[in-house]
Parts: sequence; structure tokens; C-alpha cells
Amino acid sequence: MFKFVRLATKNVFRNRRRTIITGLVLIFGTSALILAGGFVSFSFRGLSESTIKGQLGHIQLYTKEALQREEEKPLELGLDSVDALKRTILGLDHVRFAMARVEFTGLISNGDKSAVFLGRGVEPEKETKLAGYALAVDTGKFLGENPGNTEESEVVLARGLAKTMKAKIGDYLTLMTTTSKGALNAMDVKVVGTYSTGIPEYDERALMVDLKTAQQLLVSQKVSKLVVVLDETDKTEEVASRIEKLLPGITARRWFDMATFYNAVVHLYNSIFGFLGVIIFVIVVLSCSNTMMMSIFERTKEIGTQLAVGTSPLRLMINFLYEGVIVGASGGAVGLVVALLLALLINALGIHMPAPPGSTRGYPLIVDLVPSLFIVVFFLITITTVISTIFPAYKASRLKIVDALGHV
Amino acid sequence: MDPLVRTDSLTKTYTLGKTEVPALHTLNLAIDEGEFTSISGPSGSGKTTLLNILGLLDSPSGGHVFLEGSRVKYNGLTNLHKVRLEKLGFIFQTFNLIPVLTAYENVEYPLLLTKKSSAVRKELVEHALRDVKLWEYREHKPNELSGGQRQRVAIARALVNNPKIVLADEPTANIDSATASEILDLMRTLNEEEKVTFLFSTHDQLVLRYAKRVVKLHDGMIVNG
Repeated sequence: MFKFVRLATKNVFRNRRRTIITGLVLIFGTSALILAGGFVSFSFRGLSESTIKGQLGHIQLYTKEALQREEEKPLELGLDSVDALKRTILGLDHVRFAMARVEFTGLISNGDKSAVFLGRGVEPEKETKLAGYALAVDTGKFLGENPGNTEESEVVLARGLAKTMKAKIGDYLTLMTTTSKGALNAMDVKVVGTYSTGIPEYDERALMVDLKTAQQLLVSQKVSKLVVVLDETDKTEEVASRIEKLLPGITARRWFDMATFYNAVVHLYNSIFGFLGVIIFVIVVLSCSNTMMMSIFERTKEIGTQLAVGTSPLRLMINFLYEGVIVGASGGAVGLVVALLLALLINALGIHMPAPPGSTRGYPLIVDLVPSLFIVVFFLITITTVISTIFPAYKASRLKIVDALGHV
Repeated sequence: MDPLVRTDSLTKTYTLGKTEVPALHTLNLAIDEGEFTSISGPSGSGKTTLLNILGLLDSPSGGHVFLEGSRVKYNGLTNLHKVRLEKLGFIFQTFNLIPVLTAYENVEYPLLLTKKSSAVRKELVEHALRDVKLWEYREHKPNELSGGQRQRVAIARALVNNPKIVLADEPTANIDSATASEILDLMRTLNEEEKVTFLFSTHDQLVLRYAKRVVKLHDGMIVNG
């Protein structure tokens, strides 16, 4: 077999120019797939982390009932005994921390004008721990970061809502809502900062207050949900399953089940990447088939001689397939190196991408170096090259010996 | 004893569009082991057609071919590759060497199709190249050899598997007369010393003088021999 592989190698390089051109097609195809795949991987990673940090956390815990029917009063179906729950959750592996949130709605007023708000009561320190860079406070400070203010209830307004209320840092606004008992309640809050959610429509309505402020407003010690934050995103399913076994009355919603926008983007990117893959596949197949057909045409007499001296049609076909493997593997290997160098270059350049639709923030252009992607693409390119060799090799093996020998 | 190769009412007709062109007419021929026979005739007499059919490279339209007493079944020429490998050797007018292989590798090529070990192959290739006096040129590629040397390599390749018969179609057509004489001397020596059976086609009178037996063809029929 080794001697036939050597023969195949010599045949591959007998027409250097044609082999180089075919090689360039393979290198281009390999690099394109790896760079596109690496960019998609980074986008997914970035978007997933952004989704987790910005809004969802890794797991959200609700009472089972809360997801089965609508509440008739605020926090009617909320979680009770939150501290005990937190202690139980914190005892599990991979759990960094758990924080409570209260979701509520109502009206906000500056005395002259009122608007609907979507409010969230949070544990400020833990929200900052989760969101990090994702919690972009535009002006002022976040909740609980104002030393000396221990008495007044604070609020941070999303950018759009602050504009609607013409609110500045230090202004007082009134929040009005329905309590857990169905009565109306109102509370004055001091604006300490503004922030952006990254979604323009949400920026028009959102605000955050301290958890205690929300619970006072709603007259309840319950919370809407417990947000669990892990040390590794990959452990989401494992931890969620354990929580559900440990706490049968609780539903653990995984972040990827709640991330509508993320899932839509993944689906879209996968479709685009798949389409790109098909195009590259077709280009590689056409190019390699053409190269092989030309090669066979030029070697018709030689093929006739090989058949005449006793080469079986199967052996002849296998020899051509060896050539396909050599071309594919060589082109793929060089393509891997080119892709790696290009990825490193792109990552070093610090290019910034514009904000995607529905968002107000751009993100850096980074290409992830994913080892499994390199391996898969290499084998894909090699196999594609071999596939494109099959038909020409078959035709060669079926040549009429006398006609092939007489070929000029 | 059966002849090495025998034909019985061999016929070959080519179809060109709507026209049928007869190439061989009920040809009866026998070649014994150890013969050094040439098939002569003008262009179009059927020499190459006959050699192709005897070499199992083409199938007859009618009649039969017997090889070592057994009738050759021409159903699927590609299935006869084993017979060609084990029993036949070919020398072509244009040498037909594989250009990317050295002289050694060209001669070794038929042996790669057998199950012979590396050591046995090496021995056989060396023997064949020494027979044609080209051992010192074993690492040269065809484009580094003269016409005569290339034909010697082709002869070595044809002989390396110890075939029953070597078929040569106009083996000296592409070389000068001095070199042609050397080639024919070599073939004659191999015939006499190693008892290799040669059947070659030619219309060259110089070549015919070397043959021990001449079979003359004219319009697809044997007229003499």
C-alpha cells in the first residue's frame, strides 16, 4: 500500500500549478469554515454570557404553580422562606450564589406625568456580582452605592424611562402599585442612577429598586423567583436537575429555555453557517472533480497501460482515491494553519462590530479557537475531496483499454 | 502438447457509425512456447487488432482464443486483469512508461499488483534490469533516458513477472535503426537464453530479419505463416 501511496503523491504533484490552485481552494474553504465557525462560537458564547449576566442568571426557581397559572394578586404564587431555600441551594456544587428578585408593575409619576413601569426588586450587591460589565450605569450610581443614604428608598431608571419622566439624579418620583393583598400602595423613591438594558423597548419602561423596597411596596416577604448563578455555564442542566430532585415543589427554569432572543440568534446563525458550509462544499467538490477529470484525461494512455499490465479496475480507483485523500488532507492541514494565523491576527486587531438589531451595544470581533471545530473541518474537507474524486476515478477504471492506449 | 496460444476462426469487426469494418477474418493461428514470431503486414492488415485480442485487451466478434489450452472467456475484459498480470507481458510502440516513476519503480509496478514480498520484488526487479543492462540507470526517470533505454525498461517491465508470452506492438517504431537492432538483439537473447516467447508486430523489414517465424497478414487474413 505504501508504494501506491507514494505513486499517488507523485501523481498529485506532477502538475504543480493545478495542484496549487486546487490546494488554494481547499485552504480557502477550510479557513472560511473555521473562521466563520469560530466567530459564531464567540457570538454564541458572548450572547449566552450576556443573556445570563444581563437578565436571566443560569437557573431561575419558581413555585410550580407560578408557571401553571396567572397570579390574581402580586406575589400570590411567589416563593416563601427564601433564606432557607438559599441555604439549600448554596450547599450544591457549582453554585456561586443565589439571589432573590421581585417582579412587579405599576405607575411611576413625577407629579406632572405618569407612565407605566416594569419594576424589579433586587439584591444590589449580588446583581452587580452577576452582571459585572453588563450592568452599564449611565449616570449616577447603582442601588446601595450611595454612602450616607440609609433612610431613603432608591431607584435606578432605564434610560428611556428617565427621559420620559424628565428625571435627573436626586429627583424624587412616586411608585404606585397593587399590593399582594390587592390594595393600592405608593412610595416615594429617590433617583440615584440611570442604566441601559441594551434593548430599546425595555429601556422605555424598566426600573430597579432594592428588594426590601419592592417587598414594602407589595406588602409581602415573598419573592417572584430565586436566580441561581453557577461557576460554569456548562453545569446548568446538571445543577437544575439536582435542584428539582431536592425540592419537588420547585420548578427550575434553565437559562436556555428562557432566552428567546438567544435561541433565535442561534437558529439564524446555524442556518447561515449551514448555508455557507453547503456553498463551500459545492465549490470544493466542483473544483476537485474538475482537477481530477483533467488529470485523468491527461493520463488516459497511462491508465490504459496500467490496466493492460494487470491493474484491476478497483485498484486503479483506489489509487485515484489516495490522490484525493492526499490533496484533501494537505489542503486541509495548510488551511488549519492559515485559519489559526488569521484568527490570531483578527483577535489582535481589536475590531468592533456594530450593535445587532434590537440592541444598543456593539461587541468585539473575536474568533474563538475551538479544537473540535478544527478537527471536524479538517475531516470534512478531506472527505469532501475524496467524495469529489469518486466519480472521475470510477470513470477512469471503466475506460476501454484499447481506446485508452490509443489516446493521444 | 497444446500450443501456448491458439486462435480458432477468430473474427473482429468494428462498427463505425452505420458501417461495419472487418478487421480479422476467420483467423487460425498457433504460437508454441519458445517461439520468436513476428506478425507482418501493411497498415490496416489487422496486426494490432490481433495482438490486442491475444493480449486480452480487446474482445473478438467471433471465434475463440485458447491460452495454454484453456478457452479465454471475454465476458468483461476488465476481469481478465489477473490473466494479463500473471501470463502476459506487453511492450508498446511508445514505451508507455509511467513518467513520475523511476526505471526501478516502473519495472516494479506489475509486482506491486501481486502478493510478492518486498525482498522477492527487489530480487526480480534487479534481475530484469540487469538482463536489459540498465541496472545502473535504475534511479533515472523516463525523461532522463534515451528512446532505446526507455524501451529496455519497458522490456524489463514486461518480463519481471515471468510471463508465458510477451506481446510487442511495433517495438522499434519510435527508435533509430541502430538502437532498434540493439533492442531486437536483446529480445532474441532473452528468447534463446531464458526461453521467453515473443510475438511482435512490425512492418519493418529490418525487424523481420530477426524473427524465426513470420506470419503475414493481409486484409485481416493470414496469407503466409
